[in-house]
Amino acid sequence: MQKLIEVRNLNIAYGGAAGWTNVVQGVSFEIARGEAFGLVGESGCGKSTVAYRLLGYGTINSLVQTGEIIFDGTDLLKLGATALTRLRGDRIALVPQNPTTSLSPGMRVGTQVREMIATHRALPQGMTMEARIVELFALVGLPDVGHCYPHELSGGQQQRVTIAMAVACNPDLLVLDEPTTGLDVTTQRQIIQLLADLRARIGMAMLYVTHDLALLAQIADRVGVMYAGQLVEVAPCEELLSAPAHPYSRGLIASIPTTDGAERQGRGLRGVLRRDQMSTGCKFEPRCDFATTACRTMPQVLEPVTDARSVACMRWRDVVAPQAPVLVKRENKKIIGEPARLLSVADLNLSYGRPGLFDRLLGRTSPSVVRDIDLELYAGEVVALVGESGSGKSTIARAISGRLPPRTGIIRLDGAALAPALKDRSVEELRQIQYIFQNPDASLNPRRRIRSILERPIDHFGIKVDEKALESVLENVGLHAGYLDRFPEQLSGGERQRIAIARALLVNPKLLICDEILSALDVSVQARIVELLRSLKEKHAVAMLFISHDLAVVQEFADRVAVLYRGELMQLADIATLLDAPLHPYTEMLLEAAPGLRRDHYVSRPPAFPVSKAIPGVGCPLAGRCPRQVGSLCAETRPPVQVSDNGFIRCHLAADELATHASPADHSDFAGQVRSIS
Amino acid sequence: MTLATFISSRRFKVDLWRATPGPFKVGAVILVAHGLFAVLGFFWTPYGYAEMGAGLPLSGISWQHPMGLDQIGRDVFSRFMHGAHIVLLLSFAGTMLGMVTGTTLGLLSGYVGGWFDEITQRIVEAMISIPFLALALVMIIAAGPALAGAPVLIVFVVGLVYAPRITRIARAAAMEIATREYVAVAELRGEGTWSIVFREILPNAANVLLVEFSLRLSYAPILIGALGFLGFGIRPPTPEWGLMISENRNLLIASPVTVFGPGLGLASLVIGFNLFTDGLSRMLGQRPVAGA
Amino acid sequence: MSIFRLLASRILFSALTLLLVSILIFLILEALPGDVATRILGREATAKALEVLRSQLHLDQPALVRYFQWLGDFLRGDLGTSIATGRPIADVLGPRIVNTLLLSLFAFAIYLVLALIPAIIQAVNRGKMIDNVISVITLLLLSLPDFLLATILLFLFAVAVPILPALATISENSTWQEMLRAMVLPAVTLAIMMAVYAIRVLRDSLIEVLRSDYVRLAELKGLRPRAVLFRHALPNAIVPALNVTALNLGFLIGGVVIVERVFSYPGFGTLLIDALQLRDIPLIKATVMISAAVYVAANLAADVLAVLLQPRLRISR
Repeated sequence: MQKLIEVRNLNIAYGGAAGWTNVVQGVSFEIARGEAFGLVGESGCGKSTVAYRLLGYGTINSLVQTGEIIFDGTDLLKLGATALTRLRGDRIALVPQNPTTSLSPGMRVGTQVREMIATHRALPQGMTMEARIVELFALVGLPDVGHCYPHELSGGQQQRVTIAMAVACNPDLLVLDEPTTGLDVTTQRQIIQLLADLRARIGMAMLYVTHDLALLAQIADRVGVMYAGQLVEVAPCEELLSAPAHPYSRGLIASIPTTDGAERQGRGLRGVLRRDQMSTGCKFEPRCDFATTACRTMPQVLEPVTDARSVACMRWRDVVAPQAPVLVKRENKKIIGEPARLLSVADLNLSYGRPGLFDRLLGRTSPSVVRDIDLELYAGEVVALVGESGSGKSTIARAISGRLPPRTGIIRLDGAALAPALKDRSVEELRQIQYIFQNPDASLNPRRRIRSILERPIDHFGIKVDEKALESVLENVGLHAGYLDRFPEQLSGGERQRIAIARALLVNPKLLICDEILSALDVSVQARIVELLRSLKEKHAVAMLFISHDLAVVQEFADRVAVLYRGELMQLADIATLLDAPLHPYTEMLLEAAPGLRRDHYVSRPPAFPVSKAIPGVGCPLAGRCPRQVGSLCAETRPPVQVSDNGFIRCHLAADELATHASPADHSDFAGQVRSIS
Repeated sequence: MTLATFISSRRFKVDLWRATPGPFKVGAVILVAHGLFAVLGFFWTPYGYAEMGAGLPLSGISWQHPMGLDQIGRDVFSRFMHGAHIVLLLSFAGTMLGMVTGTTLGLLSGYVGGWFDEITQRIVEAMISIPFLALALVMIIAAGPALAGAPVLIVFVVGLVYAPRITRIARAAAMEIATREYVAVAELRGEGTWSIVFREILPNAANVLLVEFSLRLSYAPILIGALGFLGFGIRPPTPEWGLMISENRNLLIASPVTVFGPGLGLASLVIGFNLFTDGLSRMLGQRPVAGA
Repeated sequence: MSIFRLLASRILFSALTLLLVSILIFLILEALPGDVATRILGREATAKALEVLRSQLHLDQPALVRYFQWLGDFLRGDLGTSIATGRPIADVLGPRIVNTLLLSLFAFAIYLVLALIPAIIQAVNRGKMIDNVISVITLLLLSLPDFLLATILLFLFAVAVPILPALATISENSTWQEMLRAMVLPAVTLAIMMAVYAIRVLRDSLIEVLRSDYVRLAELKGLRPRAVLFRHALPNAIVPALNVTALNLGFLIGGVVIVERVFSYPGFGTLLIDALQLRDIPLIKATVMISAAVYVAANLAADVLAVLLQPRLRISR
């Protein structure tokens, strides 16, 4: 194959107050014409730095670099500013990470695409600019949105605009910097599909940078794994995923939650990437399960081991050797006897914003964001509330915790109705429900030491504890007493989340509300927090309402799952039933869209009646998007709730009908591939 | 980096001097010099600040009279020296008054919201809409001749001119902090409003407020000077620097030093404050909000 | 929210603010406890003088009546009668406002140049020598009290190198060249005082915008640096500076008081000082109300301009 771009021994270092930091060290790889190369690694591994160097972009201040990036016979690192300007966008184009912040906010998107074409004089012969722009939008599956401002488009549409812009000049190489991070799972899959499609039609090469190996499985031909600024493994995608040869690749793959129903001991990676704690030898040595004493002193370099594969590990043979997977079938613990009902939510309707004076005079009411929620939680049980962003899952949690008085509905704890507003609840009621927030950076007061953060709730609730209480609770969450005198900013994200969990546990609650508590954390850290939660669940018998967009994480320890779509519960079922026979069309869509570790050539099923959209609160919220919509019936009448043996389904189609007309794809296959829903 | 961790860090103890930004250092040195000068001037001046006939009026610069003599033969340097502590004290007291009022009102208004916030904001808005110099002058006139020129009135006026502006900053900070999850955690625990404002919000607004204080303090000598310059400030013969510049302005041709001497003093004090603010805000990771 | 609804609600709020301003001014000047006349004229004032002031302010009527009387007249365009001169305030104010308006326009034109160019130079060369030099200069100028800066400029260009008139006295028979020459020093003083704030804000916001994702994407689209700066960076960076400009107009109104005084310019500011010195309450009320109205209008304009520049503001707020 013809080489399009070749990176040779790239070294990049930034100068700072603490001396030089090697951000990228000795990275070499090449991309052939039309090839899709993936670059994967944890945050801070230097993958984006490499990608942006391919566009000749980087902080010019305090940077040293050696090596070459040969593109079309010239070294990009030696190219002058004018030549780079000519090259960028025209021959090497970027699809940025966050389309919302990457499109110029004050400029219509059509103008931004036009600017790209005009700058590089890339208008095809015999075509008007307007026609070309419309054609580009059509290519990425958008209507003519040229007159829109970026904020008028959804995140997925914005990303399509940036893609249209990137391919406007038919570049040879497309650099994609985490292009689907922050999008909902179904949108994410559509974008990936679009990219694969474009590649087939236009034939450009791609450098795809991501932290998500499962996504690369869908699009990349070859993958490079980066750790601490170095490439540790380069291999064809399938080979890497099925038989990783570097311990780090192995750990990364193991960190990805899957739904095979197996419980793997100590899965994932230990620790986090810390550039200040590295041995002189292999950089991965402090976190490596295969490390020997030699690893500590002997630097490892990338060496070819087979035709297509290079690894930077002297013990790669041991790593790649197939290991008997420790598949421990999880026993479905059935609690003996009828468990006590802890929380019950009946007929909950929620809306934001108290109507203002004008609204009240005009008789306007704000629409409900959450409608008709019925949910029960038994003592010691974990119920997961799953849905896309904006589906109202956190809103429900707010209402249960008392921060958002519901418009209608009753919330009962232990059979007693809770006051709707926080200020009317008793201290004892407040103690029994503890809330853990998504963002550990913001949930600990940065001006207080951990000790004072943990002591405050004890004082406030007047709980009698012995002197060792703080230490033992820290131990419970896998930390030690040394943390008590630290400030939150001296802790890593995972450690802060552990403190937040400790704070909640200290007051012996009956119910923990976990609001997306994993989504701000790296994959490897997530895996360990999940383990912690699982052990706490067993030790403390505390019930949890676990809110997540990630079905795969949820299945690892939830007993039952409630699926939420646009403020309405679509389905409630125990986890096994949900994965084996999702039945509900929306649950099916979610499971299908989640990328697995194998390429699945996913094509989203088209909605049956795209124009017959539901008005919120009137028909089924899925109407207009549902592939199995019955007709206008779905948009016009509320679907009935069909009770099953361990939950319910809200659909116009009967349960047996749903089962027989199942989608062409095989569910059990998807069940093995579930990943995130956002 | 928060101030608390900054101070408790080893780096702070080991080489505080090297760790602080340049402007902060220069500003601190200027301010310390001004402070010492003010203390000295409070206890001792070469001549009495109101002593007429210390030398020949308008006789220019000499060793005895480094800033010359004014129209009625008072030693300008002695007056300048004596004025130093007055300018400093008035600035501090006025800014402090504005700060306490503004912070309390702003934090509460930003956190509590609702009608209280609405009313506070409307009043603040109205007060800010009156150009601050005009507001200050109108208040001085309203106080009448009995109070005119009294230090208390100047302090009160500076405080009242500053309070709405500080309220705005404190409110914005409180509103932003109120969305943080640790505040929600405290609310879910059932903590009261005052407890949340003082335990959770105030410590986290401290950086913003400190920079704001420093910024307002920088401008206080100018505001007080402007009042003096226009003849609505401290009552003569008390040598407030703005008043001195105004008094000696008709000597601009005959003896410019009588104007630019006190002027240099005033400017250097404000430069000191501004450099200090600039360095402080860099150290605390804040951006000072410009605009009077 | 449509832009018209936004505009309507903004205008409504501005009117409310001005109403509150009128209440505030009235409260401060006429409704504080105690006898207004004695408080304003002092205990040494003669009984006759007190009596005259009382009758001029209609102090025999309750405060509420007086307030609504004043407000009603004001809204109808009747600003009242000056105590000191006995002339209608509108006649006294009119020419002064015109003079100050001329001065302000001149100052504003200089301000725009003085604020934009250094800020752009700084942001483009951030961290370099020129950035630091301009930073130091703006900090020094920021620390100069306006009355001192005016005096320094006066000394430099009217005393040391006498190329400009020291006193900016203009009258109806001055030629426009005379007027322009007279206005140079006060206008430059005002412009510098306003610009130093704007430079700092604009520099910071421009640097922030230059670091933004969309500027990076614009660069990586292969746009020329000039196009990136003027099409993508500047329109977005200017919004915070707009707010400062509005604040600056408030400052300008205060600043003219000082600057006009230093240069004896017959404008609105000197009139306010005269009114204050003569305790001419109706005139004080009228001038302060008008200056507040100008400030509120300037902020309204800045808000509207910001919304026009940044379409996404149309949905929030």
